Amino acid sequence: MEKLHFNFDTTDAIAKPVHVGVVASGDLEVIFRPTDKKTEVNIVTGSDGFKEVWANVLKRFFDRYPIQANIEINDFGSTPGVVNLRLTQALEELKDEK
Amino acid sequence: MKNSFVELHARERALSLLDAGTSKEMVGPLDDMISPHLEPQNIVPESDDGIVLMKGKIDGNNVLVVSIEGKFQGGGIGEVSGAKIVAALEKALEDNKNGKTIYPIIILDTGGVRLQEANYGLLSISEIQNAVIALKKYVPVIGLVPGRVGSFGGMSITASILSYLIATNKARIALNGPEVIEQEAGVREFDSSDKDLIWNTLGTKQRLATGLVDEVVDDTVDNIKNSIVNEIKTKKDAHRTENVDFYLSLLDKLDLSKKLDIETYNKLYKSVEVTKHDIPEAVAGSKEGTKSRGRAWFEKMTGIKNATSPVSTVLHAQKDGKEYVAIVPDADNDFPRVRNGEVGLQEGFAVASVINKVVAEDKDKDVKRPIILIVDVPSQAYGYQEELIGIHVALGSSAAAYAKARQAGHPVIDFIPGDAVSGGFLAHGLQSNRMIALDDDSITIQAMSKASAARITQRTIAELEEATKHVPAMAYDIDNYEKLGALYKLVKGIGSWEATDENVAKINQIIDGAIDGLNGDRTLHFRYETPIAKESGRKATLKVRKLVDEQW
Repeated sequence: MEKLHFNFDTTDAIAKPVHVGVVASGDLEVIFRPTDKKTEVNIVTGSDGFKEVWANVLKRFFDRYPIQANIEINDFGSTPGVVNLRLTQALEELKDEK
Repeated sequence: MKNSFVELHARERALSLLDAGTSKEMVGPLDDMISPHLEPQNIVPESDDGIVLMKGKIDGNNVLVVSIEGKFQGGGIGEVSGAKIVAALEKALEDNKNGKTIYPIIILDTGGVRLQEANYGLLSISEIQNAVIALKKYVPVIGLVPGRVGSFGGMSITASILSYLIATNKARIALNGPEVIEQEAGVREFDSSDKDLIWNTLGTKQRLATGLVDEVVDDTVDNIKNSIVNEIKTKKDAHRTENVDFYLSLLDKLDLSKKLDIETYNKLYKSVEVTKHDIPEAVAGSKEGTKSRGRAWFEKMTGIKNATSPVSTVLHAQKDGKEYVAIVPDADNDFPRVRNGEVGLQEGFAVASVINKVVAEDKDKDVKRPIILIVDVPSQAYGYQEELIGIHVALGSSAAAYAKARQAGHPVIDFIPGDAVSGGFLAHGLQSNRMIALDDDSITIQAMSKASAARITQRTIAELEEATKHVPAMAYDIDNYEKLGALYKLVKGIGSWEATDENVAKINQIIDGAIDGLNGDRTLHFRYETPIAKESGRKATLKVRKLVDEQW
């Protein structure tokens, strides 16, 4: 298990907290929470040694969607593709008006 | 698969059952109530600790859905996940008591105790069982076993206690998983690589044929919802843990000289002629019984030398107005898997028979007889025929009997001079609300042997031992157990084997003190209320209980 921490200078505020995903094998859960501070991403991952990959996946995500949020990720060995999928799924939840 | 229920995650499962727009999740992922015990062991936690609690309506009826996430840590029950279930069931009980009907539905997708929080898992599961027994006086408690994980371990004991069990054909139900049986009893006992044998034995088709589930439906959301709606309407109750005479009669007819196969068992199951079974009090015998700490203390406490009973492993007797019960080893037992004092089929059903009788005899009395459990159980029995017949029902029967006795007003007190392990402890010990243990380092108190726990959690024994240093609930000794706060008293200066007259007098005094201090307490809340529990042992439990109470 490894804990990772990232910061981003993004400024699009989000309106509500959202949660998607499950900490299942090859999967992860993602929580977005509104914040007025710097965007922070805290990751707990079961696969050690992938800090650079995480940095790249997150950079690509925030380049495209510069949301300002406090993000928590619990990951159980998901691939970068799955990570990206869950992050965009959380964005969809933000738009959901239910 | 279209409209599959099994393929949904726990939260989606709960939502799929509830009428649209009626759901309300409690202590959800945004409440930050994660397990404090996983990260110290380098295990990734989940924000809801694998349990979804949702209130809502099904076909207009108020329900509480408890949905276990099988994909997170195998649906194992730890401190937080267990406390979430217990707290929600107790709120449902409160509502029902106040005339506000709410039906609890438990979706079981679970391996049982979360081995990484072992002793918390056992405590929690006994507390869940206690709440289910209490709830059943008001409403049916409905169980659903959709599969992939199915239902195993202590949560199968819980499943046996539920009013009505619905399953799909993608599920298996058992006490011990085949891998654990292979680890404990050898590959000839149960070959865990033989998938056909596993599914034919533990699959729900076989379970339906022998009364271990009540209904098997095809895997669609609609089918499952229909079955639940139907059960809410008809309120059927399988009374699965009340068939003690049936099972004791069945066991009488079992041919123990050869290995039981499915076809033989199914024939036997259908041909049982039920006769009344009374397990008489132990009497003095001429031959010494197989030595054990439990036997030594039982004989001293009751004054019965070389105690014997027609069920050689279950000793009980009345002394000074108290009922003493012990499960003991018998090296010559016809059941090979209980020769070391394990709790097997006969033990579970016989203890249930004893306790049910005590409760029936005292039904109209103002003061109920105290029941003293002498606990020295190295584990539940690991065996093929045990699983085929349904050992989880045997253990559920005795757990239910003890819970009912306590809820009826009997003081149920543990005296622990020996081991208190896993399903054995759930069946004989964990329904007590005052536990007294000897401070002796020979006592093992755990959910699984080190070898099996290491195999199942895919760690080495060295890694497992390292983890026990950080998480007291993972440890195997009584001193670490004390740190959880569940004990009424840890008695220093008396060794496990030192069952002398003087020591018996000391223990009896402590037992009497425990009984006097009950003040009518029929719950298991004492475990949360000791100074150690409040300070550290059950801190997360208490936080969960507060949150559920606020959000209910």
